[in-house]
Amino acid sequence: MRRLTIALALGLGVVSVAGCATVEPWQRDRLANPAMQFDPDGGFAAFRAHWQEAREGASGGAGLQGGGCGCK
Amino acid sequence: MTRRWMVLGFALMALWRPMAASQPSPAPALEFPDEHGVPTSLASFQGHVVLVDVWASWCAPCKVAFAHYNAFFKEYHARGLEVLAVNVDARRADADRFLATRPHEIKVLFDPKGIAPKRLGLKGMPTSYLVDRAGNIRERHEGFTEDDVVTYRRQIEALLAELP
Amino acid sequence: MAASRTTRIAPLLGAALLTSVLLKSHGAVAQQQDPSLNIQFHGFTDSRSVTVLSPAADLDQDFTDRTSLRMRFGLDAVSAASDSCIRCHPQGANNQRKYVNASVIRKYGDTSLSMGGEFSQESFYQATTGLTSVSRTFNKANTTVAGGYSFSWNRPNLHPSDFNESQIAQNTFVALTQTLTRWTTAQVDYEFSGVTGYQSNPFLRANVDGLLIVGVVPEKRLRRSVTLRVRQALPGNTYLDADYRRYKDDWDLTANTYSLGLSHNFPQWLFSGTFRRHQQTGAYFYAPSYTGSPTYFTADFRLFPFTSNLYTARAVYVPNGQLFGILPTGAGLTFQYEFYDATTGFQAATFSTGFKVPLKRR
Repeated sequence: MRRLTIALALGLGVVSVAGCATVEPWQRDRLANPAMQFDPDGGFAAFRAHWQEAREGASGGAGLQGGGCGCK
Repeated sequence: MTRRWMVLGFALMALWRPMAASQPSPAPALEFPDEHGVPTSLASFQGHVVLVDVWASWCAPCKVAFAHYNAFFKEYHARGLEVLAVNVDARRADADRFLATRPHEIKVLFDPKGIAPKRLGLKGMPTSYLVDRAGNIRERHEGFTEDDVVTYRRQIEALLAELP
Repeated sequence: MAASRTTRIAPLLGAALLTSVLLKSHGAVAQQQDPSLNIQFHGFTDSRSVTVLSPAADLDQDFTDRTSLRMRFGLDAVSAASDSCIRCHPQGANNQRKYVNASVIRKYGDTSLSMGGEFSQESFYQATTGLTSVSRTFNKANTTVAGGYSFSWNRPNLHPSDFNESQIAQNTFVALTQTLTRWTTAQVDYEFSGVTGYQSNPFLRANVDGLLIVGVVPEKRLRRSVTLRVRQALPGNTYLDADYRRYKDDWDLTANTYSLGLSHNFPQWLFSGTFRRHQQTGAYFYAPSYTGSPTYFTADFRLFPFTSNLYTARAVYVPNGQLFGILPTGAGLTFQYEFYDATTGFQAATFSTGFKVPLKRR
């Protein structure tokens, strides 16, 4: 948990220390590119999260989904 | 009972969408080269109603609005409407690529340094401004949706009807 | 294991931060979501002989200039002959999971509120979820703070018996997204979830003194993760994405997940490649086999220690004009292939394709 707290503090620090820059709305040309989005295609990311949750123990989210014949 | 109406009134005010400029204000000086490199200024259209649109090729609603502004121009130009589409792409080639696939009659001006949005106090992309015949900004639209087209027509016709 | 003082404080701090920034007022900024219809087809196959074909549809539709609806529905057709099924079903066993997810999003100036739910049903499992989230942008949309909560009631069936178990899962998250420069944006996300109720797997049997017995795991699990993500625009229409997630739960399972990706824009194409590495320890009660009378024992491979690599290749095509000559300008096609390889010997591959059609804004 200590490492988790340090990781969170570090993350917030990085974001806030450098976060004073104000990019004007008309300067967002590169930022508007789909490659700069965190989840450019939600459906594909959702499917990946779904099968990873069925195969890895460290997925976050709303608990376990799926089960069935232990086959997922 | 009065308190209920006051609460409802405040709630409605909180949800009200800001669309129009609150007070007419003189339009700032804007002069940029057009597609042929000819310097073109907003002031040279005094006496006309001018729709100034700040747009970029990377802005999805800007691209939707472009076709509508071209249609407004075709419909109202004879009555005195001018449309200035001020492009703020940092790279001219990006704008040219978009324009090559969109036949248009409106004037496109190029402002890669973003001078126009700064002077106009732009807060979001796209934003368009309606300037009356005297050179004052009378209406401002942030964003663009299909439902805005009716409002645009009403405002353009009202400004065109004003005497110079 | 009892949560430490730090773990109790962290979600409270997150909630306080979220509340304070959401209450701050600011001028309205034009916010435009992209209404669209997405149709996708996913195929999954793995070394446990599981095959899944999954068509899905996502709809994002504006109703007014401030209200939109998001819906997702799909089907997982599971064709499986894995070792957990083959004992009773030597020819393999088919399964089908149907799900529907719907949310309403309402904008109030710079604040966006979303409420919705999801329901999924398959042969031996049913899940019902309610979720809500709120986000606010400020500083000319350079900063976004978001938070959310979900509640899920899950009902696994202990096949082949008719008995149904119950499980409650609650999840909360806080995320901060910040534009750092014209070319860099970063996001940090903290997620906390608690699961109570039945969490064992009724199909996987652990070796206890030479006998194969259905596993038993604790009925409570607290999970936390912190994720840091960066997107960087590079010269020449190239983009870099880097993510790191640190996960820990009170079953002592910890994980580090790193991913690094590169994308390049051509005139009508976007090509991307991503590498993801995941390292996890096992749960504290994990063992390859057990002796005596262990309180907890499991054969659930998700709780084993392992390292895995995931390789993703993706291509997105958005023509300048109409797609196929009929779909509106802005419609595009996506193709994606992924290969997954774990040190346990487990391997999987997915192939996905889809097309996206923009809809009218309101």
